[in-house]
Amino acid sequence: MGLPGFLRRPWNSVRFSILKAGTVMNLYKREIERIKRVCYSNDRQIATVIAARNFILNNFAAACSLETLSSRHFTSKFHFLRLFKKYYGLTPKQYLTMKRIEESKRYLKAGVSVAATCYRVGFDTPSSFSTLFRSRTGFSPLEFQKKQFSQSQSAPGSGTCCQ
Amino acid sequence: MKVKVIGIPVQDQSKALAFYTDKLGFIKKHDVPLDERNRWLTVVSKEEQEGTEILLEPSPQNFEPAKVYQKALFEAGIPYTQFNVDDVQAEFDRLRELGLEFSVEPTEMGTVKIAVFDDTCGNNIQIVQLL
Repeated sequence: MGLPGFLRRPWNSVRFSILKAGTVMNLYKREIERIKRVCYSNDRQIATVIAARNFILNNFAAACSLETLSSRHFTSKFHFLRLFKKYYGLTPKQYLTMKRIEESKRYLKAGVSVAATCYRVGFDTPSSFSTLFRSRTGFSPLEFQKKQFSQSQSAPGSGTCCQ
Repeated sequence: MKVKVIGIPVQDQSKALAFYTDKLGFIKKHDVPLDERNRWLTVVSKEEQEGTEILLEPSPQNFEPAKVYQKALFEAGIPYTQFNVDDVQAEFDRLRELGLEFSVEPTEMGTVKIAVFDDTCGNNIQIVQLL
């Protein structure tokens, strides 16, 4: 079916795009455009949440309160909270915790002590760190660290990551 | 329950192994012969070698509906799965240099940037970067 046929039968556009996949406009590209329109049309909101996420990523070790984040973007706390959750599916606090846990794994793998890791990634007390770490990973920080070392020693060829 | 393996259907396992290691940079993890045609063949991310394995499964050759499904997804441009990268544009530049074909060039979609390439094994694969 050529272009003239398509123009005569616009209701057949989906089939047309499937036949011409990869060349101009396939079904998936149409969906991308549709979802952009439906979910991502507010550029200002998107810029706000992206900037907030980057702030969290760069400042996770310091205190990142909701007040700090929202005031940086001249929005109310609750409006900001809702926006962030709308676009990332997690609250800023959940996102911050996720980032801290992820970073703590890197320190633990590198052999940094549990207490030092806890403060380096921004948790207030080793006990709150351990509790959160266990709830997210299934292991206490110490168990996780021991497991990493035993794995790297038993797996051939993967020892370099811990040197 | 744990997620240890996810499958990607491939039309030719040898070709798929070459593509996923040489071009995409994955590392072969398991390669167990099953019969004269099929292997239990898995690869892992270089950055997460203890992470989830990708099974390059020869389903399109062995099970007709898998072949039909793979073909329909491919023709609609729909990615079979997606991988996370730090920088979609940089990965796009690197892969295009290696001769890969992209059906979706780096595109921002709200809080993510995506691109879609042809894995030459019958699938579209999406790379995604969180913005």
